[in-house]
Amino acid sequence: MLDIKGLLVARGEGAQAHRVRLNELHLEQGEIRAITGESGCGKSTLLEAIGLLLAPQQLNHYRLGREAVDVRQLLAENQQPALAALRSRQLGFVLQNGGLLPFLKVRDNIQLPRRLLGLSSRSRAVEKAVEVLRLEPLLDKYPQSLSIGERQRVACVRAIAHEPQLLLADEPTAALDPHNAQRLFELLLSLVNELGLSALVVSHDWALIDQFGLPRLGAVNGEGETRFEPLV
Amino acid sequence: MNPWFKQLGLLMQLSVADLWHDRKVSLCMAASLMAVIAPLLLLFGLKHGVVSQLQQELLSDPRNLEVKMLSSSHYDLDWLERLRQRPEVGFAIGQTRSLNTQADLQGERGRFADNIEVIPTQAGDPLLNTPLSAVQGNQVILSARTAERLAAKVGDNIRLRVVRRLDGVNERGEQTLQVQAVLEPARFARPAAFVSPELLLDLEYFRDGYRVPTLGSTSGQLLDSVKVGYARARVYAKDIDNVEALERWLNEQHVETSSRLAEIDSVKAINHVLGLIFGVIAGAALIGCIASLVGAFLANIDRKRRNLAVLRLLGFGSLAVASYVVLQALLLSAVGYLGGLGGYFAGSVLFDHLLGSSQATGTFICHITFGHGLTALLLAFLVAALVAMIGALRAIRIQPAESLREL
Repeated sequence: MLDIKGLLVARGEGAQAHRVRLNELHLEQGEIRAITGESGCGKSTLLEAIGLLLAPQQLNHYRLGREAVDVRQLLAENQQPALAALRSRQLGFVLQNGGLLPFLKVRDNIQLPRRLLGLSSRSRAVEKAVEVLRLEPLLDKYPQSLSIGERQRVACVRAIAHEPQLLLADEPTAALDPHNAQRLFELLLSLVNELGLSALVVSHDWALIDQFGLPRLGAVNGEGETRFEPLV
Repeated sequence: MNPWFKQLGLLMQLSVADLWHDRKVSLCMAASLMAVIAPLLLLFGLKHGVVSQLQQELLSDPRNLEVKMLSSSHYDLDWLERLRQRPEVGFAIGQTRSLNTQADLQGERGRFADNIEVIPTQAGDPLLNTPLSAVQGNQVILSARTAERLAAKVGDNIRLRVVRRLDGVNERGEQTLQVQAVLEPARFARPAAFVSPELLLDLEYFRDGYRVPTLGSTSGQLLDSVKVGYARARVYAKDIDNVEALERWLNEQHVETSSRLAEIDSVKAINHVLGLIFGVIAGAALIGCIASLVGAFLANIDRKRRNLAVLRLLGFGSLAVASYVVLQALLLSAVGYLGGLGGYFAGSVLFDHLLGSSQATGTFICHITFGHGLTALLLAFLVAALVAMIGALRAIRIQPAESLREL
């Protein structure tokens, strides 16, 4: 589903460059992995690289999705349109503050990825997610009239609306109180399970990760470099 | 992926939704366009209205086209023909010596009119401006004053009389003419009768002592030896712009002339000055408008940077985001233009109402044509697109990854 080997990305130039290394990551369908580490260690950088938003310096192997698309080759040939298409089709992002468009109603925000891809407006997965998250009464509201917890729930539904294969969440609970954070985690887990996705969740809420017993990919800091390794 | 037109439709919906959601700012930007478009349209409407009215006045009076020949000389038919062939000339007809251009008329009801000016006319005479001006030898067109004095109507037969003294004997020449038309008083103010050039020549020959059968004379020299000649001509330029060239040509022929070139030139000068003033004001307004729009646009894009980044993240290409920005600019300028057009109509109604009835200004018109309106719309789009290009250049540099980074 997701298979990465020998990934190295750099942020910044020259002496100030900070490198982020990931030797190996393998995710099966329905598997979820938490990425942890202190602030500024490069969690987001790693997520951007895996999310095809940032070109890596080195990459030995990267295959994505059930079709096992060879991402390494696309990157090597710098095929930007193909990469962008792959990103919008196979990846779903949950952003820290939701990243909802303020000028669209909740319903239209959720529908936007499907419309962009030319998919039919009806989706079992979306309907189910809306029902489970009790978003029905919010559908005709604008994001500004939603609480932050509600916004993050909507963002989760939008991230899976086009039925991607890999869900990438960047500190989705950072702005939430513990109770809401727990509910959102529950939701993410159930979505991943039911839709058969893989998910990477950046978080520094260790307690929550432990509570749900999620396997972790932790940061190990070195000289100008952070290495992410599986932690037990 | 969607085909491009579906994508464009989606972009359009998003643009409208964004503008509507942000309507206070959108309104400000549309208003700044409107604030430029409305006064410019009004100013241009005034310029166009005033100038076209002055030009209309020039055109409506055929005397403005006339180049009067002041001196008398002898011109033969060849010269007249050459004059007619000139490209500047719209109409030319020969005239006899001024002493011989008068005659007495008698109407059907016995009313007389003495010493009426007899003027030659022919098809295409701008002075009469009627197809009836193609008069035959036995037809006449009367000015309003003459018709009044004779109590004559169209279709009446009137008698034209001339007298001469030949070998100590007073003789009278006479011809019956049918009234073809009576001119409006404004067309020709003096009492006059318009006849065919042949009849006018006959009158001159009669006075000169020739035998002219059409006037019923049986004495005098035979006409065979006479060569047709004119003392002057009534000449009209083809249009206003040809008056100057025509007058110059006549002067080169050593003909003294007078014309209304000064009035024509003053209208042209007014047009030029107003055009210049309008151009400078429009230029200044446009520069200010572009500067303020560029500022507003760039600030707007910075403000919406996160939204644009999210659009990129969801899968819109950089070109799509650039079109999104340009689409918004075009929508705003369309709204601004419509507002400006509304402002123009309100202003022009006000102008026409308040100033149009005033005696001092005469009929006062603020007027633009459909073409002017269309030009203004295209200009507004051009300015908006230009401004949006600058914004779009900034927008295409927005990376989808920015949506992940907290600013």
